[in-house]
Amino acid sequence: MSRATTSMPDVLLEARNITKRYPGSVALDGVTFRVHRNQVNVLIGENGAGKSTLMRILSGVESADEGELFLDDQRIVLDSPRDAAAHGIAIVHQELLALTNLNVSENIFAGRELCDGTFFIDRPKQDARSSFALQQLRKPMDLRCETGRLPIGCRQIVEIARTLDQGSKMLILDEPTSALSASETESLFSAIVDLKRSGVTIIYISHRLHELLHLGDQFTVLRSGRVVGESSRTEISRQWIVERMSGRAEAASAGERTDVSTNSAVLSVRGLSLAGSAGDEAAQTALHGLNVSLRKGEILGLYGLLGAGRTELLEALAGLRPIASGEIALRGKTIRIDSVHTAMKAGIVLMPEERQRDGLFPDLSIRENMMMSSRSTLFLARGEEIGRVNQLIADLHIAARDIELPITTLSGGNQQKVVLARCLLCSPVVLLMDEPTRGVDVNAKAEIHDILRALARRGLSIVFTSSEIEETRALADRVLVLCQGRIAAGFEHSELTDEGLFAAASPPVVSSMANSLHPASGHPA
Amino acid sequence: MNSAAGSISQVSRAASASARFVLLLLRARAVLVLILLLVLFSALAPEFFTANNLSILTKHVAITALLAIGMTFVVLTGGIDLSVGSIAGLSGMAAGYLLTQGIPFNSVVHYPPVAMVVLISICLCLVVGALNGWLVTRAGVAPFIATLGTLYIARGAALLISNGKTFPDLGGTVRRGSTGFPAFGQSFLLHVPTPVWMMMVIFAIAWVVAEKMPLGRHVYAIGGNQRAARLAGIRVQQVTLTTYLFSSLCAGLVGLIIASQLEAAHPATGESFELNAIAAVVLGGTSLMGGRGSITGSLIGAFVIGVLADGMVMLGISEFWQIVIKGVVIVLAVAVDQLQSRLQARLVPFLAQSDQGVAR
Repeated sequence: MSRATTSMPDVLLEARNITKRYPGSVALDGVTFRVHRNQVNVLIGENGAGKSTLMRILSGVESADEGELFLDDQRIVLDSPRDAAAHGIAIVHQELLALTNLNVSENIFAGRELCDGTFFIDRPKQDARSSFALQQLRKPMDLRCETGRLPIGCRQIVEIARTLDQGSKMLILDEPTSALSASETESLFSAIVDLKRSGVTIIYISHRLHELLHLGDQFTVLRSGRVVGESSRTEISRQWIVERMSGRAEAASAGERTDVSTNSAVLSVRGLSLAGSAGDEAAQTALHGLNVSLRKGEILGLYGLLGAGRTELLEALAGLRPIASGEIALRGKTIRIDSVHTAMKAGIVLMPEERQRDGLFPDLSIRENMMMSSRSTLFLARGEEIGRVNQLIADLHIAARDIELPITTLSGGNQQKVVLARCLLCSPVVLLMDEPTRGVDVNAKAEIHDILRALARRGLSIVFTSSEIEETRALADRVLVLCQGRIAAGFEHSELTDEGLFAAASPPVVSSMANSLHPASGHPA
Repeated sequence: MNSAAGSISQVSRAASASARFVLLLLRARAVLVLILLLVLFSALAPEFFTANNLSILTKHVAITALLAIGMTFVVLTGGIDLSVGSIAGLSGMAAGYLLTQGIPFNSVVHYPPVAMVVLISICLCLVVGALNGWLVTRAGVAPFIATLGTLYIARGAALLISNGKTFPDLGGTVRRGSTGFPAFGQSFLLHVPTPVWMMMVIFAIAWVVAEKMPLGRHVYAIGGNQRAARLAGIRVQQVTLTTYLFSSLCAGLVGLIIASQLEAAHPATGESFELNAIAAVVLGGTSLMGGRGSITGSLIGAFVIGVLADGMVMLGISEFWQIVIKGVVIVLAVAVDQLQSRLQARLVPFLAQSDQGVAR
């Protein structure tokens, strides 16, 4: 057991033979995970592979049934997140826990307020330390700003600043970029590089392979609760990761692409404008006279940075945001869209971006969730519903054992497919999808892509947004790039390049990904 | 290997069976409590379980049940309707005014027939319900505050109608053509009192809407996740407005029943009835957060409150103790409700698990 690790770089933390059982399943089965000092340690695996369980154990939220933790070769026991913090281990959760009603400085010191020897909070001292931590991250911000008014990327920085101030030497980032735009991701990456330089060890979890390849130093792959691969950046490739994650060779993801250039136009949008507004929840980017046309059976990708207006465009088409001016024609007929209901009736259906917040009814069953939008009869016909639900479960390969169980019993990918099924039950002409595979593992993502291509072949027109350049390239027949509420460029599939998309998406004044964060690894192809 | 796998699936199947049983018990707890109370009072008070007493009891229950059924839809959307007691008072006073004061028109006072009186009173209540709905859906006022406001508005209006006085003698006179109002709440049809009929009809309608119609499912959806409901194409504002209208309709009926039974309309009628209705809804297992609950549960909850009250009176328990006991029962009910949702969250994986085991 005391195998020397001299061949490896210096190991800061080692989790040895960790086993964790839950009723009916083994989440971790004798996992040995080594965290290398001063490196970005990447942990990869599909949903349910045991990544989050392992991180919960490392951050003291749960304890292992078997196995031991060694920090600098000293055995440690973590019974609570407090213990972990005392050992310098901190975690930034996938769902940000920022207290949105408090300001930046208050968030950084929430639960461990500094007192000036009396009963009162020492604000100047808190502010000073807050701004020092933020400076370290090269992200100074207004300490008095309510966190709720900050974009998600900044909230994440606040969380990281909090862990920095606690003097953490090991930072766990659980899917930190799942909610970030490309530009926010960039600034997070530069923060991570800085952290690494200042001697912080990082564990990084993500589904996005190109990010991992860009950022990671040491790679560990989990599958079904076991470590199936461990290597350093120089020895691995994208192929290596995907094969180990899924346990099989990477499927040819491209698929055949049907030529739709001669199909008739289904949707045409002329001069669509939207008034902009500021605020926390209600903030929207103004759109300036957008012209979009969509052919039958075409998959159109919308690419852009956060705040470029992608979501606004989709939601305006779906009837969720009132249009200031412009004309929308569906199959040659001009239509008026003033609510989600009228858009749906006309045949334009939106599949929302945030599944938990906008898509699911957690109290209701899989069947009820799926049938929510289809309403043609006065009374509900249960037998017919069951038939249609089972049909869609088969068509979309949804892994559901019992359609009367709550939707929350399904995994993320399957929940997403249920929401997709709901949209399909409205028999849409145009399907709008905002981040169709967000928070979904690699295999489920490939499956959803296949389903969408099959739907398009049958004549459904699809518009989707994605903040992943990889996904945009894989799925779209044509891409429109939005920048500050205007269409900056359009690409046919054959013309697509990463550089082209980035360049078109970046506003003229802001520098793009020019000064590469990681000169050694180069740009992922 | 095989035997090990077999025993695991056996264990998980046993776990799933007991999980299902515990959940069933918790879900049926309102019925269990009701049966327990019926048995208890029948044993302690011999005259409790007689046809005569049960008939009186049901008539009492009908009042709370009507309000609770109306309230249930509102609560399912995640709202609350505090104005139902005041609306009941308002509807009684409106009927009293029309029956005794009439409508002056061309310097002649017209006395509308009873059917018209009922209709006008109900319409007045629907106006208050519409105001509730408008405040909640369009003006964006929190349901608690909006209906607290209309609670005062409706009560004040009821007092203004008579300047705080009672309208007596609602029997009407043949000369005015306004007789028959007492029959609204006092007569029998097939040996069953009319208020109980109304309760049964309203219950049947509400049950069908909740269980069998898209409208009901939309109510549950709005309470479960309002944003998702909007994005699923549900007309959230219309549905929510409908629930407040239905609640005020039920409250209006209650006010008319009481005025008819007393043959008098008093402006303070229905004070604190909203609290009884909310208690019945909660006892019936409907979550005040919305999205979870049932119409049947609220009916049973109303019976639990009614049986408890009547039984304690028969046993001669002090009125003050009755109030304390009622409060204890309500608090216990909500505590058990929390326990249920926590247990449910923990047990659901077992249910899913066992299904996988069977499928294999």
